[in-house]
Parts: sequence; C-alpha cells; structure tokens
Amino acid sequence: MSVPNEDNMTSHSQLSSHFLGDLLDSIIVDVASECHRIARLGLDRNLEEEEEELRLSAQARVRVADPSNSGEANSKYVVDIFGQTHPPVANEIFECMNCGRSIMAGRFAPHLEKCMGKGRKARPKATRSSTAAQNRYSRGSPVSTYSAYSNSTSTNRLSNGTSGAAGEEYSNGTFPEP
Amino acid sequence: MSTGNPSYTNPKPCKHLADYKLRHGLTGYRSLQKLFKTTPNGRTSVEKPNTTMPRCNSCNGFQGRLYFCLICSTVSCSDHTLLHNQSENGHDVAVDMERAELYCCVCCDQVYDPDFDKAVMSKHIMGIPRDKNGDESIGERLVKRRRLGSGVVEEELVDLSKSKQLVSMRDRRAKSCYPLGLRGLTNLGSTCFMNSVLQALLHAPPFRNYFLSDGHNRETCRKRSVDRLCLPCDIDAIFSAVFSGDRAPYSPAQFLYSWWQYSANLANYEQQDAHEFFISVLDGIHEKESKLSNRNRDNGDCLCIAHKVFSGQLRSDVTCMTCGFTSTTDEPCVDISLDLDTNNFSPKNIANKPIKSNENSSISTLLGCLDLFTRQEKLGSDQKLHCRNCQEMRDSVKQMSIKRLPLVLCLHIKRFEHSPVRRMSRKIDRHLHFPFSLDMTPYLSSSIVRNRFGNRIFAFEGDESDISTEFEIFAVVTHSGTLESGHYVTYLRLSDQWYKCDDAWITEVDEGLVRASQCYVMFYVQKMLYHKANEDLSCLPISPRRDTFLPIAGCC
Repeated sequence: MSVPNEDNMTSHSQLSSHFLGDLLDSIIVDVASECHRIARLGLDRNLEEEEEELRLSAQARVRVADPSNSGEANSKYVVDIFGQTHPPVANEIFECMNCGRSIMAGRFAPHLEKCMGKGRKARPKATRSSTAAQNRYSRGSPVSTYSAYSNSTSTNRLSNGTSGAAGEEYSNGTFPEP
Repeated sequence: MSTGNPSYTNPKPCKHLADYKLRHGLTGYRSLQKLFKTTPNGRTSVEKPNTTMPRCNSCNGFQGRLYFCLICSTVSCSDHTLLHNQSENGHDVAVDMERAELYCCVCCDQVYDPDFDKAVMSKHIMGIPRDKNGDESIGERLVKRRRLGSGVVEEELVDLSKSKQLVSMRDRRAKSCYPLGLRGLTNLGSTCFMNSVLQALLHAPPFRNYFLSDGHNRETCRKRSVDRLCLPCDIDAIFSAVFSGDRAPYSPAQFLYSWWQYSANLANYEQQDAHEFFISVLDGIHEKESKLSNRNRDNGDCLCIAHKVFSGQLRSDVTCMTCGFTSTTDEPCVDISLDLDTNNFSPKNIANKPIKSNENSSISTLLGCLDLFTRQEKLGSDQKLHCRNCQEMRDSVKQMSIKRLPLVLCLHIKRFEHSPVRRMSRKIDRHLHFPFSLDMTPYLSSSIVRNRFGNRIFAFEGDESDISTEFEIFAVVTHSGTLESGHYVTYLRLSDQWYKCDDAWITEVDEGLVRASQCYVMFYVQKMLYHKANEDLSCLPISPRRDTFLPIAGCC
C-alpha cells in the first residue's frame, strides 16, 4: 500500500514541477517578447545614460561624505561670490509696515506674527490638492502609496506648524465616478 | 518648434515580411482578426475557432509556444516552424498565438508591422464598450490639438532684450561677471522656506520674462484695483530689486507681510513647508490676475502667469477588470507630488521572520518615482467602483499619466510620511537621484496607454502633440535636518553653472554637491526655454571657479 502511494507522490510532484516549468517558460518568453518590441520600436530608455548618471551621483555622494573634503559641503562661509559677508542673524533695520516700529531683519517674521495678531489660532483649511486625481480613490486608506494628501492637515510637510495650502479649486475637468 | 514626431520608430520589415505584404496585403490580417481574443487588461491572443486546443501540425504537441501560419493557418510549435516553412514555399510569416506577435520563420525573430498592430488595436476598440455618448474610451482620436506649448507663451512674452528695464542693467552688467538676478535673500526669522522657493521663481525663465518685461505693472494695478493686497505686485517688486544689479542681500519683508495677509491661516512663526508655500503663491497670483483680467476662454484654460507657466494636466484612467471599459478624467495641476520608489515591504524568510535587507542594493531615482506614479494600481476589493458599462461594482485598475506637460515642471517629493493610525509623522531622508536632463515621453498619456496595449504601433491620442518633452533642471530646493527643525537651500543652474542660494549667501558650487544633496522640490523647464534663457543671461565671461575662502578681487 505504501509503495503505490510513493509512486503517486513522485509523479504528482513531477507533474507540478512540469507545470511550474511550463509557466516559467511562458512568462520568460512573454517578457522577452515584450522587451524585444520595446527595443525594436525605440521605446526603451537610454540605459547607458542612466547608468552614467547613477555613477556620477554615487561618486558625488562619496566626495561630499569624505570629511577631508572641506569647503562647499561645510556651511561655514567666509565670503559669498560677490565678496560679501553676512551675519548669522540679519541685522539690517527697517520699519514694520504694520505698526511702524523699527525691527531688525532677522527678527522681522516673529515680530510681524505677533504684530498681526496671528498665532497658533490658525484653522486647517480645506486644501486644494494639486494631485486630487491621485487620491480620489485612495481616501480613507491609511498609509498607502498614495497616502491621503489632500485631506489631512499636515501631510507632506517638512516642518511643524499648521497646515493647508490656501487656494481654490481649479478643477474644470469632469467629475469623479459615482 | 520641431514638428511632432512619433515617440516610436517604425521598424523596417524583413525581406520575408515585405514579400508577404506585397503578395497578400492586408487580407491575412483581416481574416485573422476574427480569431483575435482580447482581454480587459490589454492583452491579445489568437484562438482557434470553437476554442479547440491548438496542436502542432507536425508533432501534435501542445506545449510551449505555438505559431499560426498567416497563409495556411497551420499551427506549428517552436520546434517545427522551420519544418513547415521548408515544406511549404513562401509560408514565412506566422503569428505567436499567445501574444499575437508576428514571427518570421526564416529570420527566426519577432517582426513588426504597423498594419498588423492596427488590426489588433481595431479588435480592441471593437471589443471595448463605449459609454452612452458613443465616445470611445481609447482609440485614435483626431483631436484638434490646441497649441498650448511654449509657442503661445513665447509669442506673447516680450523678448527680454527689448525690455526697458534692462537698458540700465546692461551698464551694470559690465561691473559684474555673474549672471543677472543672482542676489541673496535675507532670512527674516525661519523664512528659508520662502527664500528657497522665491529663488526658484526668480529664475523660472517664462515667469521671470513676464515680470521683467513689465507683465504686471504696479502703477496700472494700483489704479485698477481697489484691493491693495496684490501678490503679483509684491513679486514684481522683488524682481526689480533682485535684477537691479545690486548684490547686497534683499529682504522680502513686504512680500512676507502681503503673503501672510493673503494666506491668513498659514501665518505662523514656526517653520513652514516650502512646497505648500509654492502652491500658495501660485494661488495668490491666480486669484489676483483673474480678477484683473476679463479674459476667460471658454475652454477653461486660465491665462494668469502662474497657470501659463506651471499648469499642466494629469490624466486618471480607471479600467474595469471585467469588461475593460476605461473611464478617463483629466485634471489640471501645477505640480506633481511623487512618492519615493522604495520597497515598502521587508523580505521575510519562510518562517516569516524579517531578513536583513541590503539597503545599498537599490537606489531611489526620480525616474523610478515617475514610474511608480504612472504604474497600474489595482484598487483593492474594498475599493470597487461602479462600472458604467457593467452597471455594477467591479474590481478596477487605476493609472495616472500626464496629458499635457507645463512649460515649467515642478516635481515635489513626498518626504513626509504621515500615519493617522499611529499618529506619527516622519521625514524620509532617503537619497533620491535626479537627472539634470529629463525626457518625460514615457509618462505621457499616449505612451502609458500605448504600453497598456502592448506597445502596438498605433497613433494613440496625444502622439501628434508638438509640445517638447525634453526638460532641463534649473532649480532644486533641498532640505536638510529634521521634521521640526530643518533648513531649505536652493541650488540654481544658470548657464550650466550651479549656485547655492542659502538665504543671504550665494556661492558657486560644483555639480557634484547638487547631485549629492537631498532634493525636495525640483524645477525643470522645457529644454528650448532653458537654452534661450542662458542666452539672455550671458554676460562677459563668467569668472573661473575660485576658492570661496579667498576674497574676490574686483572682477573685470
């Protein structure tokens, strides 16, 4: 009884390997055929150029990361290209257009904020997403590839603070699917 | 302007295919059409009538690739195509039944014929349902192309050399070897987000040309407009100051004041996002300019400078997986936000424990991000959409593409990951490689749709466009640091020399530094406009690279 079973098992696994082999062959020829067409029709990208670009990029990163490479990578400037030098906090003085007081340039923004009575009261506004089309069908999904960009208050921003691009709907296209 | 050229080349037929065409013309293709089987996802195959299983005529085999002779309809497997060809004179061309591709038995190679591809596409078009209005959802549309490319803008914008403002600049130009418009911007207190974007705008060729040729006249604007708040006026003031020849850093205080008034809800001392600022400024320009001008074309194309320069169109195709009906939506956009092309999963071994993956093995590239943006995305079964043709909720596939390219292409990298579930946000520091020259052809709607149908030689909608797809980078806004406290720096490329604009500090840098930087928003302009802009900026020979640590002796 055990012997026929073993034979069956062997022929079964042989059969499945055979089918797998067939499927793989089919897929490989498929890809080859597709690439052949792309190459013949001139639709392929210039791979050499791309490789060269990547090489330059990698080289550049190595150079910049090298600590013995002083200069550009450091933010320690002495003079700019015009031969000028600038203090860390801008010390030019001008008049605030809201209240008239004399303010130092480097402190103008925080002054203006208080002066204009703004603060952390800002409300998130409905954003007009420039890529609303991307996300129309992805709303509600948490972190998907097309993560909610239009609705969340602080998506895709690189610093804190309140949110929302100002603006209005530009869309003059057709409307989404029901 | 170059005449529209197809984005593919018509390959020359081999001798045997050419002979076949001479003798049989299109008759073989037409009768074969009846046997084409098309699927909703764009694939084509050849099926024998009554769905009988095809077998090789010589060996009765059914495995591997099978080829259908165009002349006598004999099926041969790959081992026996030559045999058939030798036994029957002139039976050189066959069709790969699996993929509906022409195969020359003598050359032993896949060959191509536009007429054959046309027959394939016709079958697809016949098979794909039309919507109520009778519009085809794909296909050869001979649409009168509106020439919205640089042709229109160039005609309207005044040649820079004729601008009155520049007359005085030419004198000053002699005093400096550096390009016009290169001037530091003072940081007014965490305003590098604003300075970085302003530098890019100041050097976006069509945008710059508009303001420098008095496109927005402040006097006229003051008279016409009751509302004193006008962002274009403030931007015009910045242009005047920056291009005046004065090289001391400029403080865009008035602009900040105006912008905060305009975007009331954004005003906050804490650091802001540069990309959001960019969108906000374009909004502000649009709002003001569309109030001033009554010109509003019926077709909805906005004529404000913000849109003329930055506005393109994105296309979203949603295809029903059951019937193949594709619903297309076009939306205008002023930028494209891209996700980084990283693998989101970590490889696991059989026991489902994570394996340490080699981080260095893959590098993110801008082209990779664009590929990701335009890939076919299967919408999950919880996201079924109503198919107009099937009249039911169906599994669908979504695909984005670019319907119309803008003059200046703004690409934003989503370095910010926000998880509402975990209430966490983080910045993705992963390095992204970006090219200095960018060809957007593969991401156009015509290319994407063509690819969906197996890259058939067929005039898909959009192929006739004259608009150039080649772009050159001119500004990169980079970010360094963390989410909460970071710093923006813009690199400008003027006449192929890179400059670092770090608030008030303008320095010359090597292109390697730019390549190694962490890009956040990149600005590309159509190649022709880039080269023309370089001509405009040309001055006396630019100084050879100097060590920035030495004071510069008076140049010229």
